[in-house]
Amino acid sequence: MRTTFAVIVALGAWLMAAPLLAHHAFSSEFDIGKPLKLRGTLTKWEMINPHSWFHIDVKGEDGTVVPWLIEGGSPNQLIRLGVTKKNLPIGAEFIIEGYQARDGTNKAVGRNFTLADGRSFLLGGSAPGAAGSDK
Amino acid sequence: MLRRLVAATALGSAIALLFVSTTTAQTNYKVPRLADGHPDFQGFWNNTTYTPLERPKGIDREFFTREEVVEQMKRAAVDEAEQTTPGTVADVHYDFTQFGLDRSQAPLSVNLRTSLIVDPPDGHFPPMTDEGKRLNAARAEARKRAGAITDAAQNQPLSVRCILMDRDGPPMLAGAYNNNYQIVQAPDTVMILVEMLHSPRIIPTNGRPALPASIRQIEGNSRGRWDGDTLVIETTNFTDMFMFAFQGASADMKLTERFTRVSDDTLTYRFTVNDPKVWTRPWTAEVPWKKGVGPIFEHACHEGNYSLTNLLRGAREDEKRAREKKPASN
Repeated sequence: MRTTFAVIVALGAWLMAAPLLAHHAFSSEFDIGKPLKLRGTLTKWEMINPHSWFHIDVKGEDGTVVPWLIEGGSPNQLIRLGVTKKNLPIGAEFIIEGYQARDGTNKAVGRNFTLADGRSFLLGGSAPGAAGSDK
Repeated sequence: MLRRLVAATALGSAIALLFVSTTTAQTNYKVPRLADGHPDFQGFWNNTTYTPLERPKGIDREFFTREEVVEQMKRAAVDEAEQTTPGTVADVHYDFTQFGLDRSQAPLSVNLRTSLIVDPPDGHFPPMTDEGKRLNAARAEARKRAGAITDAAQNQPLSVRCILMDRDGPPMLAGAYNNNYQIVQAPDTVMILVEMLHSPRIIPTNGRPALPASIRQIEGNSRGRWDGDTLVIETTNFTDMFMFAFQGASADMKLTERFTRVSDDTLTYRFTVNDPKVWTRPWTAEVPWKKGVGPIFEHACHEGNYSLTNLLRGAREDEKRAREKKPASN
């Protein structure tokens, strides 16, 4: 690449000027001090805007089942990628890593969703350019 | 690592193809027309961009080279697909890539410009007038008086309250995702449906008189007309709500948006802000809109907005904990 050092610095500034803009400040809703990892079974997907809510049942070591609500992204782009209520596997066992709600209830933001066997839970994952019309 | 590689490779090929299609499409381009003779803008569009409104510090030219833009877009795709560091504020979020919400998964407009602002030519806002400074200082004061952002639902930005987002405008500017629009034309009206937050802009183009100055609206009052093959929309009658105020504009801002088809898959969206109360001269920005993929999906934001309640409850919980920590004062 024939870019000079000055250009690289300038490009860095250009990229930093355009951060991802979220719908709301997640750190007001969820607690950075409460990271968690849950293994549960999907019971319901509330496919609503501005955010999806995934309902999961988490089984404790003593066999008790505790329901959790996990916040994820808006569903519009998932529909474009072909992920809909029909093909999202209700009953699938998956692992989420995220942060618990500040109010201490069983709600969390799902930083990552993966199936128990390690595959991506959401089919649209990790393929930038996948939905572009120029591919 | 694999993720970085996939991101770089997929986007690299997408951009290479895109440059080819853009270059060939612009030669001898004939604007498609409707039965009434006006250019046909109908269909789905997307204004996602990596280009900032104002030119960042350290860049003193109007355009990048194609080589530089390809490099930047590849780097941006990789950055957005990267995991953030656990335990940092940025990590308290869902993964954009998993939900297909990072910009590289949208139909991206390639823009060689270093800023969306094209006039003034330095890519920056013109100087603010004294009156503009006073107006915005008064707004900042009002915001301060209203209390913390988590004190009341009304203190949250209009976007979090599901009232208005930057995609809605006007002017219509992209956010990170869901920057989808549908344009429908009738002989005397143009309708622009904004996916997020699902607001239709219905704009008469038949000379219907503008509303009287006493009627003010968050999105102003828009009237359209044709200037050759360009659709021109003029909007006035904005409100003075400090929660909205586009870039510090006053309620008397006159906004002129211009839509011109420049190729099969691109239209140029150009807007001029004329607000002598706030800026010493008008300023203009230009954004390429790329052909999108339909349909537009409903974005019923308010109905599903659990987040607003959750973040207010979180703030109350924080306050309770702070009170409990404090030793009794008497």
